[in-house]
Amino acid sequence: MASVELKNLSKSFGDVEVLHQLNLTVAEGEFVALVGPSGCGKSTLLRIIAGLEEASSGDVLMDDKWVNDLTPRERNIAMVFQSYALYPHMTVEENMGFNLRISGLSKLEIKQRVGEAADILDLGELMKRKPSQLSGGQRQRVAMGRALVRNPDTFLFDEPLSNLDAKLRVQMREEIKRLHQKVRTTSIYVTHDQIEAMTLADRVVIMKDGRIQQIGTPTELYQNPANVFVAGFIGSPSMNLLDGKLETKGKTKKVILSDGTKLNVRSNSCPLNDGDVIVGLRPEHLHLAKGKTEKNTLTGTVNLIEPTGAQNHLKISMAGKSLAVADSTLVPLALDETIKVCIAPEQIHVFAK
Amino acid sequence: MSTALDQLNNAEDVAIVRTSNRKWRARKKQFMPWLFISPYLALFLLFTLFPLLFTVYLSFHAWNPVAGLANMEFVGFNNYAQELTSPWFWKAVYNTVWLAVTTGIPQHVIAIPIAYLLVTAFKGTLRHFYTATMFVPFITSTVAVSLIFYSIYSGNTGILNQWLLALSGVPVIGALFAWVPDAMPIRWLSKSDLIKPSIAFVVIWKYTGFNIVIYSAGFLTVSKDLYDAAKVDGCNAWQQFWHVALPMIRPFIFFALTLTIIGNLQLFEEPFVLTSGDSGGVAQSGLTISYYLYLIGWEWLEMGAAAAVSLLLFIIIAAATSLHFYFNGKKGLEGNR
Ligand SMILES: Nc1ncnc2c1ncn2[C@@H]1O[C@H](COP(=O)(O)OP(=O)(O)O)[C@@H](O)[C@H]1O
Ligand SMILES: [Mg+2]
Repeated sequence: MASVELKNLSKSFGDVEVLHQLNLTVAEGEFVALVGPSGCGKSTLLRIIAGLEEASSGDVLMDDKWVNDLTPRERNIAMVFQSYALYPHMTVEENMGFNLRISGLSKLEIKQRVGEAADILDLGELMKRKPSQLSGGQRQRVAMGRALVRNPDTFLFDEPLSNLDAKLRVQMREEIKRLHQKVRTTSIYVTHDQIEAMTLADRVVIMKDGRIQQIGTPTELYQNPANVFVAGFIGSPSMNLLDGKLETKGKTKKVILSDGTKLNVRSNSCPLNDGDVIVGLRPEHLHLAKGKTEKNTLTGTVNLIEPTGAQNHLKISMAGKSLAVADSTLVPLALDETIKVCIAPEQIHVFAK
Repeated sequence: MSTALDQLNNAEDVAIVRTSNRKWRARKKQFMPWLFISPYLALFLLFTLFPLLFTVYLSFHAWNPVAGLANMEFVGFNNYAQELTSPWFWKAVYNTVWLAVTTGIPQHVIAIPIAYLLVTAFKGTLRHFYTATMFVPFITSTVAVSLIFYSIYSGNTGILNQWLLALSGVPVIGALFAWVPDAMPIRWLSKSDLIKPSIAFVVIWKYTGFNIVIYSAGFLTVSKDLYDAAKVDGCNAWQQFWHVALPMIRPFIFFALTLTIIGNLQLFEEPFVLTSGDSGGVAQSGLTISYYLYLIGWEWLEMGAAAAVSLLLFIIIAAATSLHFYFNGKKGLEGNR
């Protein structure tokens, strides 16, 4: 097991800089997810950590040793690729044992270690098959097995589940999590799916356009998003982001939305000066107002109702804007009905514009 | 007013019309594909199947084409017996196999690494340029190529001998060529033991580029991810080539080898031009089966014997290709991508 540290890491392809001055420390045994929209540089970063790509500047350290010049083999990493990259001409067994064979281990030891990994991943029946004779989920497991056999210092995953169907993805997600709880190997996991990142990782790194936006535990990111991007990215359905104006009167702070609605916000969570701001309201924090006495209400007309079973996802038209609301009370509503929703002051996020 | 019976009759009539319609349609459906392939079929029957069968027929006859079709005489297996006991035939078989092996193996052993380097080390236009350059010998007329090499190999004026002489005069490496002045003039194409190697070099020079193109296409199909996976698995550059790239192009190797086997066993133009078409060169050292068959048919005007030799050549090629398929086919043809 190893810790991984990135210091002022930058990467350019020609004139295009795709990673800008990244700093990140992954502790030994930690599971860190890199998440961000497609094209933000996650794979590039992972490949630099793996030693498949060279950084333009900055340092990569593993166990406090400078490894910029080391090959993937010398870094003792294992990587699971999005395409799985199984060798088509080798059987499952040969695929999993290939690394050990290159390392010059004896046939007996290879067989034994491949067998152990196959047991963990339930691959026993498939050992003699070629990758072309496997389903997507089985290939994924072989790719995992190939990484596991090696007993590496660090696991690197590049969107390993994105080629699977939704059900299998959830299942494999659980398996990966269980596997990590068992082997406790330092893992860096790239994904564009925030739910995958949140459910799997000890800490999540949010990236956009080659810059780290925020690093934190899933709960921290959900509760205290550092900026509008993180706020919109984390959470499902995603946060409503509305234009507003911040006003301070004595000890109370208020935001005024474009339709004139005034909402109280908690003053100590809002270090901003008065002026134009962006107001963030999570759909699950908006409740249907029951009586006339509720405070902090917004008024609009029901525009769309999407029942999901446990919740009804509503779209409410409000001064030309659409507001998403996740209603757990499942009160029957009619389209075009005018309703009020309310939100607690401490659950309102305010971001600089 | 129609009675119930009438209606019944009507219904039967309609049914009859329907079935005959359906029959006609079914027949049309059967017939249409044949109609569409008939142009090809006509050409195939006329220019492939007929000559093929005629060759078989001819091989059992003695026939001088100048004397006309009427002069054809049935001789049974005589032609075969004559050729299978002819020293020239066996010489030709030996030469053909010798040339097939000595030109076949280097073509691939050279082409595979060059193609790999082209694909891994060069990008886009530069790679296309180099590939095209190496392809030029293949698209140049064999006769022209052979004529040029004929002059290069020439004993007294050929540039090859001149170079060897010049090299023997160079200080350090000259020692390696010290034997050259005594051996001059080296008669590349008129010494029986030099003819085959000289021919072989031309063949290798001409066809390696073709294989490079095939193998480049092969290596281009190997996804970059596999090389990355190999690097992560700890492979160095050689191991990436040996364990990943090479097995991945197996179908291409199989295909290229098949073409080489079939092509090399039919070698004709290079030996023919390099030996000036003169009975296979000194001591028939450059006589290949195709060359021999040409001599029988067009120099000696024994079409029946020529037909017999061409069928024997066909059997040799079929046997060689079958062996190739038997031993390499399973791995070469497996579709595991
Ligand atoms: N080899 C390369 N050459 C040039 N540009 C590249 C190369 N690899 C990636 N990029 C660019 O770098 C950016 C980040 O790519 P990538 O790391 O694959 O993103 P992600 O994995 O987050 O989707 C993209 O804009 C991509 O076009
Ligand atoms: Mg990617």
